[in-house]
Amino acid sequence: MTDMSAGRERHVHTSGTVPLISMRNIHKKFGSLHALKGASIDVHAGEVVALVGDNGAGKSTMVKVMAGVHMATSGDYEFEGKPVKITSPTDANELGIQTVYQDLALCSNLDAVQNLFLGRELTGSSFFGRRIQRAECEVRAREVLQRMRLGNLSLTRPVGAMSGGQRQNIAIARSILWTPKVVILDEPTAALSHSAAEQVGNLIRTLADQGLGIVVVSHDIHNFVVNATDRIEVMRLGANAASFRTGDVTGEQVVNAMVGGNEGVNLAG
Amino acid sequence: MAEAIKSAPPQVHRRSFGDLLTRDLRALPIVIGLVALWVFFATQSDVFLTARNLSNLLVQSTVVGIMALGIMFVLLVKEIDLSIAAINGVTSVLMAKLIVEAGLSPWFAVPIAILLGALIGSLSARWVTFVGVPSFVVTLGLGLALNGLQLILLPATARYSLNGTGLEKIALINIGGIWSWVVLAIGILSFAGLVFSEAASRNKAGLETPMMRAVVLPIAAATLFGVIVVSILSAHKGIPLIVLIFGILLGLGGYILKQTQFGLYLYAVGNNDEAARRAGVKVHRIKMAAFAIAGGVAALAGVIAASRTLGVGVFSGGGVGGGTLLLESIAAAVIGGVSLFGGRGSIHAALLGALVIGTVSNGLNLMGVENEIRLIVTGLLLVLAVSIDKLIEKATGQQSF
Repeated sequence: MTDMSAGRERHVHTSGTVPLISMRNIHKKFGSLHALKGASIDVHAGEVVALVGDNGAGKSTMVKVMAGVHMATSGDYEFEGKPVKITSPTDANELGIQTVYQDLALCSNLDAVQNLFLGRELTGSSFFGRRIQRAECEVRAREVLQRMRLGNLSLTRPVGAMSGGQRQNIAIARSILWTPKVVILDEPTAALSHSAAEQVGNLIRTLADQGLGIVVVSHDIHNFVVNATDRIEVMRLGANAASFRTGDVTGEQVVNAMVGGNEGVNLAG
Repeated sequence: MAEAIKSAPPQVHRRSFGDLLTRDLRALPIVIGLVALWVFFATQSDVFLTARNLSNLLVQSTVVGIMALGIMFVLLVKEIDLSIAAINGVTSVLMAKLIVEAGLSPWFAVPIAILLGALIGSLSARWVTFVGVPSFVVTLGLGLALNGLQLILLPATARYSLNGTGLEKIALINIGGIWSWVVLAIGILSFAGLVFSEAASRNKAGLETPMMRAVVLPIAAATLFGVIVVSILSAHKGIPLIVLIFGILLGLGGYILKQTQFGLYLYAVGNNDEAARRAGVKVHRIKMAAFAIAGGVAALAGVIAASRTLGVGVFSGGGVGGGTLLLESIAAAVIGGVSLFGGRGSIHAALLGALVIGTVSNGLNLMGVENEIRLIVTGLLLVLAVSIDKLIEKATGQQSF
């Protein structure tokens, strides 16, 4: 637990409050495969937590349990200090946990507004189908994009005609449209250029500064993780291997902890 | 927050011509092609541009146009329905049987035929989505089976005459004189009402609305187009009822595709059904509705075809295998700009595509050219239309949506 208190000291704006998400001693078995063996993670309001690890370390399983895609075999899941039972992504959404998947799940033939509201359109009169209230959607979309400092993003171009970075931003915007408390991002910078990844990093920081808890799963240690996050949780073989404050480590040390080298400062020990 | 929104930089995106071509002006090449065809046929035949012939051309294009409009919904969700021509045939034969043998009024028989068409469509969708057999296979097989059923339903004479049953009136009624203008006025007013309500809600929400581009231009264009069409039709006999039916379907279809949640979901499902599913869209239901619409609309086209030919027979629904009716319906939608790969196409595709096919047929007929040539020309036009679309995509470097 020492790592946690260290984390709290650094993130003054969380001011020692209970974490938004606290997962303790999570086990997950898929048949004979023991994917998670007592992994733990805390996510506070206003911080960006990176979840890193080699392939098969269990980080994807961990965020899927967090997002309600999988249910833990055993372990404690607390949201804002209260034990919760999350059995589906909808449960997670209702608590205020949103996930942005790596494939973004955007429709390239629809514009930003249509993608942001897909499945949750504001509709009015019913006459041969519910009529979409485009103007209201557009106002809310603009509001959210403004909040994310993305005000210059076109609302009417099909997203297929946009750059990878812009698409990533729209996917993130969609996740925060309904004011969640935690946003989980799965490999947000994969397939992005260096500068686009930097913009995504800035965007994530903007959101954290507005009080959201952010969890980022990433392989992009050297460019993204060590620059854009506050805390790095390293997973190995289904359990926590190390926990770092981002400013204290180099990419090398993180990678060492991922592959099981002993140069890393193992705070979770 | 309100101030923040107002101080937002206006979204000025200078749009290149290529940008326009792949989006708002996607229909331009096909309109140019259509005008070129008309100019060509006008030089070849004095009769072509007469009000009487243009009126006939429109009437001849309606069955294929309505079929294309229906299959468009299925193509949008990235499926295909090869049974629409068979649905057209079998439902019209059943309708004729009900009218002729059971003495049922066309007022009942026609809705039964349409509902049955929708039911058949929704059943093939269920088969596609729940069993997982590709729609190509399901509807190919279903089409053949329905062809067989159609032959079984027909009497020994292989034909039901519908003359004198009242059904033939559908193809005979023309709305002439002052009433044709009343119809046009109603159409324009409904369209203007939609455009205004859109603009009003944008203003109310504090969004900029380019008055000229978003309100005046569309209404002026629609009025001009409507006045030209009605003038031509009035110079002959008035608006044929079946052309009016096609027009209403186009308006309704355009509204559904552009304005409603269901319409949006058709595009979403056709482009990325997994994304739509994760967003909470009930993909199976959207597909089922699309197939049901295609089936119901095909049955309606069958009713109109039966009325025009004063009866039904083996030839109904394009004959066994769907014949040219099936191919021309799909070709019309594709020529008009509907993608076979889902998620792309607007309602005017059905009108433009059907007009191209109708024009070729009508014009070559006036020139005294045989049917064989008509097929060759239509086929080449289909390939040409899609090729132009691809070339524009390549030249502008933009995928059109």
